[in-house]
Amino acid sequence: MSLYKNSQFLVLLALSTYALASSVGGNLTASDSADKLKQSLSLSPAAPVVVGVDSPVFKPGVDSLFSLNLLSSFPEDLEISDYCSDLLHIFGQRYVAYVNCLVTAARPVKVCQNCFSSYGSLTNIYTNISSDQMGPGNVSCRDSLLRSDHLMLVYLLYSNMEDIWTKSACDNCIKGFQSLTNDTLYFISTLNQTLTCFEKYQQGNHTELCKDCKNAYRDLNELYSRMETNLTMCIDIEDSMNMTRRLWSKNFNCSFPREETVPVIAVSSFMLFLPIIFYLSSFLHSEQKKRKLIHPKRAKSYTTLMNIQDKLS
Amino acid sequence: MANIAKKVSWSSRAEESGAAGERTLLLNGSEQPRLSRQLSGGGSVFQIGRLSTVDLEEEITSDEDSLRGRPKEIPHNEKLLSLKYESLDYDNIENQLFLEEERRMSYMGFRCLEISRWVVCGLIGFLTGLIACFIDIAVEELAGIKYRVVKQNIEKFTEVGGLSISLILWAVLNASIVMLGAIIVAFFEPIASGSGIPQIKCYLNGVKIPRVVRLKTLVVKVCGVICSVVGGLAVGKEGPMIHSGAVVAAGVSQGRSTSLKRDFKIFEYFRRDTEKRDFVSAGAAAGVSAAFGAPVGGVLFALEEGASFWNQMLTWRIFFASMISTFTLNFFLSIYHKNPGDLSNPGLINFGRFESDSGAYNLYEIPLFIIMGAIGGLLGALFNVLNYWLTIFRIRYVHRPCLQVMEAMLVAAVTATVSFTMIYFSNDCQPLGPEHNEEYPLQLFCADGEYNSMATAFFNTPERSVRSLFHNQPGTYNPLTLGLFTLTYFFLACWTYGLAVSAGVFIPSLLIGAAWGRLFGILLASITSNGSIWADPGKYALIGAAAQLGGIVRMTLSLTVIMVEATGNVTYGLPIMLVLMTAKIVGDYFVEGLYDIHIKLQSVPFLHLEAPATSHWLTAREVMGSPVTCLNRIEKVGTIVDILSNTSTNHNGFPVVVQVTGSDEPAKLCGLILRSQLIVLLKHKVFVELARSRLTQRKLQLKDFRDAYPRFPPIQSIHVSQDERECMMDLTEFMNATPYTVPQETSLPRVFKLFRALGLRHLVVVDDENRVVGLVTRKDLARYHLGKHGLEELQVAQT
Repeated sequence: MSLYKNSQFLVLLALSTYALASSVGGNLTASDSADKLKQSLSLSPAAPVVVGVDSPVFKPGVDSLFSLNLLSSFPEDLEISDYCSDLLHIFGQRYVAYVNCLVTAARPVKVCQNCFSSYGSLTNIYTNISSDQMGPGNVSCRDSLLRSDHLMLVYLLYSNMEDIWTKSACDNCIKGFQSLTNDTLYFISTLNQTLTCFEKYQQGNHTELCKDCKNAYRDLNELYSRMETNLTMCIDIEDSMNMTRRLWSKNFNCSFPREETVPVIAVSSFMLFLPIIFYLSSFLHSEQKKRKLIHPKRAKSYTTLMNIQDKLS
Repeated sequence: MANIAKKVSWSSRAEESGAAGERTLLLNGSEQPRLSRQLSGGGSVFQIGRLSTVDLEEEITSDEDSLRGRPKEIPHNEKLLSLKYESLDYDNIENQLFLEEERRMSYMGFRCLEISRWVVCGLIGFLTGLIACFIDIAVEELAGIKYRVVKQNIEKFTEVGGLSISLILWAVLNASIVMLGAIIVAFFEPIASGSGIPQIKCYLNGVKIPRVVRLKTLVVKVCGVICSVVGGLAVGKEGPMIHSGAVVAAGVSQGRSTSLKRDFKIFEYFRRDTEKRDFVSAGAAAGVSAAFGAPVGGVLFALEEGASFWNQMLTWRIFFASMISTFTLNFFLSIYHKNPGDLSNPGLINFGRFESDSGAYNLYEIPLFIIMGAIGGLLGALFNVLNYWLTIFRIRYVHRPCLQVMEAMLVAAVTATVSFTMIYFSNDCQPLGPEHNEEYPLQLFCADGEYNSMATAFFNTPERSVRSLFHNQPGTYNPLTLGLFTLTYFFLACWTYGLAVSAGVFIPSLLIGAAWGRLFGILLASITSNGSIWADPGKYALIGAAAQLGGIVRMTLSLTVIMVEATGNVTYGLPIMLVLMTAKIVGDYFVEGLYDIHIKLQSVPFLHLEAPATSHWLTAREVMGSPVTCLNRIEKVGTIVDILSNTSTNHNGFPVVVQVTGSDEPAKLCGLILRSQLIVLLKHKVFVELARSRLTQRKLQLKDFRDAYPRFPPIQSIHVSQDERECMMDLTEFMNATPYTVPQETSLPRVFKLFRALGLRHLVVVDDENRVVGLVTRKDLARYHLGKHGLEELQVAQT
């Protein structure tokens, strides 16, 4: 359940970062259709990029349109270099590509399998931006792009994506942004076997399915729990396993039935009966513990006291 | 009230009959024994009037010896005082030896003493922390093994059928582990049973409970508590930690172990009750601090229980011991958890972190908290009443060790059975979380990837269950599960407390409270439409736990601080305090706290803070024991031996008197000497004649008394020849030359105050010419208590 929740959360996160990037800022909710998203997607990258690239050469006439909400341009040396704005442009494109990929792979979750390459290229460009190395013209884009203001938009955008990547634990399934690991491939093939088995019997009797697919399903389960302990698991595997388990238990009703109610009740009522016997027998047969009362020597004090007083009188 | 009225009528009649003073009050009472006997209806409780009248009647009509010959036997009940308990000698014995030693001691000597007190406290804290750590690790490992075995078994049989076999396996495993724990407790050291808090309370109150602070008790306690927690009983390991800390303190401060017959020749100065008890309070504090990660709570616990003997320096030292204990536990647990150096791991029971935003509370929740406090008080009172009847039954009928072992095994088996049945029939399935809060998730009939929610509560050590109730997300438990769990666990815990296993009641109470508190929170959230925002079930679980614990044990200040410290969130101070206050008020309306009930049932002469109300009319003359066996300052050895050997009068303190020559009046008081001192004197044969003949004989020193402490040999083991019986003993040097005395007319509350505030053991009652007329001891004072029918008197019995 909570895995499912998690993945939903991821989608929401992606959407919200997306909204941030596109500066559409509307009331985007999960219920918005994918088409609408695509629309804004195609619109979105233009805005920041265009502003970023073109602002130094804005004409005063164009500027006057924005004069109410935009400051006039700054002197040359404070603006970013062309090299940096190029980098930023590429970053924007790759960002869009990755987010695009993520959203399409949100349900059922395939964010690791489908999007690892675009994430790799995003990381790549971000490393370029944030590196210490001077580009052409002895400029470092790190300071001008990442640290010039307190919003630190580029950093924020990237770190959101990084969060998604770490949360989905994709590193466990991906070998250096190149390919899926062998474990993952093996799991996927096992999963496919099970699913084909499910499909084969899906129409007919479910009891037959439970019986015949049991081995495949059990192997899959065992493989999964092995991977779980080895920590070689990412969200894709988790999610597919979750879905399979739900199919198995809820749709096909193959979990174990509660069949042995009678013996369990018999044994437990026997056990519950024992203390009653014990207490009854100890009440009837055990000798009740008696306490011997000791009479304090107090009365005598009176007689002596009396004697003294008698004597005195 | 009735009694006072009666008293008034008596005195008025006394005036009519023309006799003088208080004496006739009782003589007159003898005129109506029939009436008073009818009043108390043959019960074992004697009202004051009746006791005196009956005694007086016997005195007049029959001789006392025939009465002694056929002692009355009654079934055990709460209104008895046992003979086997004695007072501690908290008051310093200022005899000549002591004064001499003090004179000889240099300034440096005193500084060293002070330093060694700190060293001892540090050691106490360290060892207590180590023991706590050992218990924690042992329980975790062993319980882990047990639960894994049972879990595997259940998983296997869920698939192929035959779950009743798993049930039997679980029950048998539990029963056999508990059997181990019960055997060592029942057969080797019965005093180690229960949580040990009542015993330590008594010890700090000034009662010497036999064998309570011995090494053997500690070993049995530690092993016993491991067995009972691993055995799956509804118990916790926190209460026994307090007892363990106390034993450690008593052992370390003496610098030797009598059980192991090892004497390290250190800390010899501390070998007397005064010093030992101070250290025991430090040990109890260290125990609390290790158990709950609550150093301040530990100090306050010691303060609350031993409040009559207190000073600033002692408090500071106790705090030191507490801190060291927490630190040690944290340090070693951090090594065990493989991140050494992390000292933030709190106590044995770890309530986990309460995030401040989810736990915020508002003004409108305060009435809800108070209601919860009232519920806690009611449930606590019910718990205590049920446990009271059960304990009486146990004392009367289940007193043979083998029966006790059997009972403990049965309880363990039934606990397993009930848990299993609850889990088996539960339909509450929850998805497995990504971070696996559940230590041993049981799937049973749930869908794959889900676990049985009832199993997290039952199939777990109680501490973990408490934590999951506090911290699991809303929606982890459904209300039916919680309700059933509360109900069954309440009865199981009530049944379990008082078994012959060493185990505490803190955790079960917290667990019951957390369960119904969480239920309360869930219901609140469902009543109000958007209530889920503020009614965080975890918060209500905490409040419920506090309410239930407060309703059962009725501790006040220390419990509040312990809860706040264990939660690690000071903002909860106010609600917890409110809740504990309400729980105590509501609970006290019905019945006392659990520990007080058990103290009463053990017939301990416990002195409460104050003398019972409406007791000013009782004077020392009525309270005291008389006649007193006195010794002369120079007494014949034969007489002393005879007095000491007399089993029917097992006195411990003897006033020493000087005879006024040429008069047969009772002699005048000049000192007080204890049985233990006399025994040491006899052992070393400090006779006047021998001293004369052997001039070089070494003088007896305080060291000789300390070496014999605390287990003085019985008089039977000391051989005194016929010739020696004729010798004389000079007690001048050894007796306490300035015992506390009161005149006969002192009222009971005054005597009580003196006795309790100074920690006395014997208080001599003298007349105006300093002649001994009686002796007040602890049992004389503790027997009065305010019952339903006014002032009642407890009876002394042999147990």
